[in-house]
Amino acid sequence: MHCKADLTASGTKNSEGTVVFYFVIRAIAVLLVSILAHSPSWATLGQSEASVTSDQLHMKSKERVQTFQNYKVHELTTGEGSTIREYVSPQGSVFAITWHGRFAPDMNQLLGTYINNFQTATPAQTKIQRRRGITIKTGDFVYTNICHLRLCAGSAYLPKVVPPDVAVEAIQ
Amino acid sequence: MNCRLGVQSQALWLSVVALFSGFLTGCGSNSSGPATSTVVNNTATVTAGFGPNGPSGVIVNGLFTTVTVCQHGSTTCVSIPDVQVDTGSVGLRLLPSALGTVMLTPIAVSGSPLEECIQYGDTSYSWGPMELADVQIAGERAAGIAVQVLGGVTPMVPPSASSPASNGAYCLTNPVNPNLPNGGNEDTLASLGANGILGIGNFVFDCGSGCTSQPLSFTQGYPYYICPNGTCQGVGVPTPDQAENPIAAFGSLDNSGVAITLPVVPPGGSGSVSGTMNFGIGTRSNNNLGNAKVFALDQCGSLPTVTFNNVSYSDTSCTQNGSGLGGYFDTGSNALYVSDAATLASEGIPISDCAQGTAGVNFYCVTGGGTATLSNINLLGYLGVGSGTITLNINDATTLFKTNNAVFNDLGSDSGTSISTDFFDMGMPFFLGKTVFVGIEGQSTPVGISAPNGFVAF
Repeated sequence: MHCKADLTASGTKNSEGTVVFYFVIRAIAVLLVSILAHSPSWATLGQSEASVTSDQLHMKSKERVQTFQNYKVHELTTGEGSTIREYVSPQGSVFAITWHGRFAPDMNQLLGTYINNFQTATPAQTKIQRRRGITIKTGDFVYTNICHLRLCAGSAYLPKVVPPDVAVEAIQ
Repeated sequence: MNCRLGVQSQALWLSVVALFSGFLTGCGSNSSGPATSTVVNNTATVTAGFGPNGPSGVIVNGLFTTVTVCQHGSTTCVSIPDVQVDTGSVGLRLLPSALGTVMLTPIAVSGSPLEECIQYGDTSYSWGPMELADVQIAGERAAGIAVQVLGGVTPMVPPSASSPASNGAYCLTNPVNPNLPNGGNEDTLASLGANGILGIGNFVFDCGSGCTSQPLSFTQGYPYYICPNGTCQGVGVPTPDQAENPIAAFGSLDNSGVAITLPVVPPGGSGSVSGTMNFGIGTRSNNNLGNAKVFALDQCGSLPTVTFNNVSYSDTSCTQNGSGLGGYFDTGSNALYVSDAATLASEGIPISDCAQGTAGVNFYCVTGGGTATLSNINLLGYLGVGSGTITLNINDATTLFKTNNAVFNDLGSDSGTSISTDFFDMGMPFFLGKTVFVGIEGQSTPVGISAPNGFVAF
């Protein structure tokens, strides 16, 4: 591993004599550019806060971070007019994502491995057509995506990872 | 005698003659009295039910009509029954099987056929060429409008997030649910549940100015492509090449919107009911607003705010960077998609999600059975144009589906999963037992009413 010159880094030696680097968050973000070029499918829901950066790069979006009492929100705004918000727990896990815009964003990217929960939860939704959208409510995974005319909006969250003092209404 | 009459005299004359002879067609018709060449029949029959696939198909509470589609500029036409009437989309989309031998005129961009792809909320999609057609409904005619023919594209699967077009645009943002009929491609009768979709929402074009520019104004979920040699690229197209609301293109005065009238259905539903779709608003005696209240729509085609039990369901995703969708009126929605079960239950309304494995799964059930009533739902129009209250009844979906009926005025379901993403979709159940007007953007509105994005009235 090598560092670019502009990174802010500090190094210490642990008991095994291995150099461990502690980068500030911004430095990690820059490093991830090279890593993510080889792992474009690395996505966010249920992952660490650092994975938000992969979404930001994938969506070619601007990021704004808001800190609330019991969670943080990374808001990604694309030049195309869509917005994605990623909710991060104090433990550093992304427990919810919301989106709205012209169309839904790339769900493989945003849901990551939870795309499997999405796929396995949907067979029962195919008997009666629901062209406008669906909702999924399971113990592990809650999802909704609705499109109406020129607008789609939705959310996905992990009930078991939502911090106990955060109301789901805060996910918006 | 001049065939062209003023609007008011048309309406007066039609109302008189209609008493005796039903409707009129053509100049110099065989009835006595003034000639009426510009007075075409503006009334189409609509039928609510399962649609052409019957009870084993994918549709309940569908609304269907017959559309005649002609090769542009010719008399080579086909009458297509069982086209789903959808006030929640824009443009006519047709199965090739419904067109039979009628060949429409492909729209070419840079020498390649223009294709459109739309992915729906359930991950299903339409994918097929845009072609010019003359579209007739009742006596009304829209000449030379772009319609979508479903299917028949190479590649068979449209550009997706994992396999985008050469310029980065893609349509399928969500992996398609493989369990959907026909793999999610709505280009068959079995998967579409109809011979086509007649989108007559409040917009004139399905995409509008967002799809006219090159380079593209957006790439995720982009709808228009050309695919020379099987390799697709997203293209900006002028609005006349985009899927167009046929009503807005009618050559008559009846191009400002529609009045849909459906009868009351009894408790427990009905197998099928028929009603009317009268084109034009305020142009005839059969499409006057009368006492209907007008609610202006916002620039996204929704009511900006619905309030129920002190909770506001606002269209925050339209202009306020939120995830709400407000309220809208959609014959293409089979149920009342309103609030969510947990929120309603917390308000003391005995509604729950029907259990997995029951007939009503994915719809609302009523704890203890019977009907749950949502009263004093307040609706607010765009810029305050239109306010009023409605009441919605919701019955137990498992009980309803066990009747084997197809038309219900009290079928409900979750809209989202919490109040921050919920909305009020007044679907087909709302349209039963009343007349609902849908006014198109940019058209004349009733005197004193400002509704630049169109309106609904009832």
